Amino acid sequence: MPAPTPLPWPGGSSTQPGEVSDGDLLVRTARGDTAAFSTLYDRVTPWVFGLVRRILRNPAQSEEVTQEVMLDVWRTATRYDAARGSAHSWILTIAHRRAVDRVRSEQAAADRTDLVGARSTEIDFDQVSDTVTTRLEVEQVRRCLDTLTELQRESIALAYYEGYTYPEVAQRLDAKLPTVKARMRDGLIRLRDCLGTTKGATA
Amino acid sequence: MTEPDVHTLTGPYVLDALPEDERARFEQHLTECGFCTNEVAELRGAAVKLATQVATPPPPALKADVMSAIEHIRQLPPLVPGATDEVSRRRFSRRSVLTLAAAALGVAASGGIAIDQYRDKQEVIQANERMAAVLAEPDARTVHGAVKGGGQATVVTSADADAAVVVLRDLPRLPANRTWQLWMIDPNRTAHSVGLASGDLTTVVEGSVTGSVAFGLTVEPTGGSPEPTLPAAALLPTA
Repeated sequence: MPAPTPLPWPGGSSTQPGEVSDGDLLVRTARGDTAAFSTLYDRVTPWVFGLVRRILRNPAQSEEVTQEVMLDVWRTATRYDAARGSAHSWILTIAHRRAVDRVRSEQAAADRTDLVGARSTEIDFDQVSDTVTTRLEVEQVRRCLDTLTELQRESIALAYYEGYTYPEVAQRLDAKLPTVKARMRDGLIRLRDCLGTTKGATA
Repeated sequence: MTEPDVHTLTGPYVLDALPEDERARFEQHLTECGFCTNEVAELRGAAVKLATQVATPPPPALKADVMSAIEHIRQLPPLVPGATDEVSRRRFSRRSVLTLAAAALGVAASGGIAIDQYRDKQEVIQANERMAAVLAEPDARTVHGAVKGGGQATVVTSADADAAVVVLRDLPRLPANRTWQLWMIDPNRTAHSVGLASGDLTTVVEGSVTGSVAFGLTVEPTGGSPEPTLPAAALLPTA
């Protein structure tokens, strides 16, 4: 395995020079440091909650899943391996997987049917909060998303923000299965190259 | 990693868009595909950036619940020998129904990602062991070559083990729409794709090595090509 390459791009956490990184906080959390976990909570929950709520829509369920995610972070912090990616990336990966698992559970699927009309494949930029993320980062991601083809962007958005499986995405976009799989991958590759991310690095 | 269809699953995988059965199969495949593992880590780094677009603070009350719940949740022991294990002594405080429920949730939650990382670590160890095994073969041969534009490619092959260790170092940065692609060339001069790399890489290639006469490295459009774009950035004869 190659060593992770340093990122020219700040992690999701808007870490300022001299500020403790999310990775450091997670390492301290793994040693049972509740103060570090408390700071980490403040740093990452806006991303976790925003993402979970975007996928689940239901506010009560979103709070419940956010809580599960953060308890999972506490419990499994000892298993975090910085060589595999940033702390931010690790936590958001847990959050996404949990939200998606929840939305695919039967009850949630039933709820979702009722919400289908309200769902949109557009990315809801208006939900961005200036208080929790830097304008710069939001702008850069948005600009990079604009470089994707429509099919790439829609395939990725339906999967990431709505929690659909790729066969569901293919059905909704009336596209072939291999096409959707390929667009998800080449869209993410384009996004990665545009953002200059490597392994979601920065601890 | 030669089956193109499996390779494209890195995209749906990092988006959690694979149906359950395919996810399980792909995770199994990841244990033996160094290129895929590397790509998953990289694409994941990009995918999580999508969350910036929807950030919203949770209700403030949630934090008190979480902070109170963790007092009753035992952390998993570290996997790495020597890592600190001073987590067993937790303060005890009065439990509310809510924190108990939350604690139960936390315990029931055997996070897929934690397992993921555990497996990944096992996988790193296994990959290291496989590399060491190839290097230890009595018939192991090493070929070095300069990469056009900068950097070094090294291939250690063992015909007995039918395996090779490929090391790409100090490769120049490619334009955003280009990727490195590694090939094995057979005696008929047909190139077979081994996989893609976005930059420096160390990986083990298993199978079909004995019948190959060379390894090639080319620069291709993002996503790779079915056939190498020549001239190659490096060509290392192995037979």
